[in-house]
Amino acid sequence: MRFRLTRVEVQSCKDLEMIDITEHVEAAVASSGVVEGLVTVTTAHTSSGLLVTEGVECLERDVLAHLERLAPKDPPAGSYGYWHNRYLDYDGRLGFNAGDHLKSILGGMQCFFPIESGKVVRGGRQRVYFVEYDGPLARTVMIQVMGNTAVEAGA
Amino acid sequence: MKAGGTDFHTHPMLVREMVRRHPELEDAARKVFFIGNTFQPLETFLSELDAAGLERAVVVPIDATRTRGTAVYSNEQIAELCAMSDRLVGFATVDPRCADAPKIVENAVGKLGLRGLKLAPAMQEFYADEQACYPVYECAAALGIPVLFHAGMSWEPGSRLKYGHPMRFEDVAADFPKLKMVLAHLAWPWVTDAVALALKYPNIHLDTSALYFDNPHDFLRFTMTVQVPLTVFERSLRKQIVFGSNYPRVEIKNMARAVRALGFSEECLDLVFRGNAEALLGGVR
Repeated sequence: MRFRLTRVEVQSCKDLEMIDITEHVEAAVASSGVVEGLVTVTTAHTSSGLLVTEGVECLERDVLAHLERLAPKDPPAGSYGYWHNRYLDYDGRLGFNAGDHLKSILGGMQCFFPIESGKVVRGGRQRVYFVEYDGPLARTVMIQVMGNTAVEAGA
Repeated sequence: MKAGGTDFHTHPMLVREMVRRHPELEDAARKVFFIGNTFQPLETFLSELDAAGLERAVVVPIDATRTRGTAVYSNEQIAELCAMSDRLVGFATVDPRCADAPKIVENAVGKLGLRGLKLAPAMQEFYADEQACYPVYECAAALGIPVLFHAGMSWEPGSRLKYGHPMRFEDVAADFPKLKMVLAHLAWPWVTDAVALALKYPNIHLDTSALYFDNPHDFLRFTMTVQVPLTVFERSLRKQIVFGSNYPRVEIKNMARAVRALGFSEECLDLVFRGNAEALLGGVR
């Protein structure tokens, strides 16, 4: 069984942004030599996420707008605010992006697909997105391919 | 607001290209400046400006050689960084007590093309009104460059607040009326003192790069509408307030959004984000 980890740097250019990384995932699988198995995609950051949805711009806007409604950047007015609004000595600065962390939790930070005949098995409309909740930043996405090579699969 | 706009107060501590060329900048970032965020390509910095709707940023070094054993960027490194993008405006640094300080500043402006001077009394451990610093002020006034002083509280462990009290800048403002002075961070927590100085001395400017609790929106709303009414800034100090973020301690986008939400008129916002910085820098280049 083969395991291969690929790290991809994704540069976001906006505060909130969905970036289609499907081709990176397919390339990592193709270059791995694995013909049957599994690929997982994970963001290395707690104010970003991984999502799978249809690859259309209108839906990208809706996803971001919905998550912003659920976990707004500005602390909700009224009965409670965000606790994550204070100085963080390990960062040398204040943390005040609780809403971005909460979006990451709500949207998820990982996805996975089966691999068959050396290719990612996904629905025709499914695209893999890296989702930036606190950009612009250079981010790291980890693509882990695991499974059998052609020899191991007996093909 | 017209196109353009400047962030008058940024530290290029996380620019990855520079850290790769000059590995000592990693220690300067982590152990002297005390910033823990990951190093980023210059593209991230420029995208931050885009996200904030700004054209350029002043990038500042701090010569902490005497007090911390290293420079948090040298003048030469700032010039090298500015050569990578015409959106960056480089400031110089010097130990103001150094006998050669005026020559160093003249060289930084004349030969390296830097356009202002950054002094950090808390990290560099000097009082702004020490006579030993006066030759540097004479030099800066003669060159027509602005001096951006750290004022108010410092986050760095080991830095003393006493060096940042705004009253230590009064003699300088009075003795050098042609020196363009900018007190950073609204000199928080002494905001009213800093405002009093700016009201009295037209050569004193204040930058908005203040964030010491909560978040940019709530903090600036408190300091610039409760501690001091917004009308004071709008009516009396509109030509003495410049936008600064203190990036990367605060993202430029977040600080810009907070300043725009304060309730300034469009005319005043244009001065804060664009006009006043251009006047301090002697125009756009």
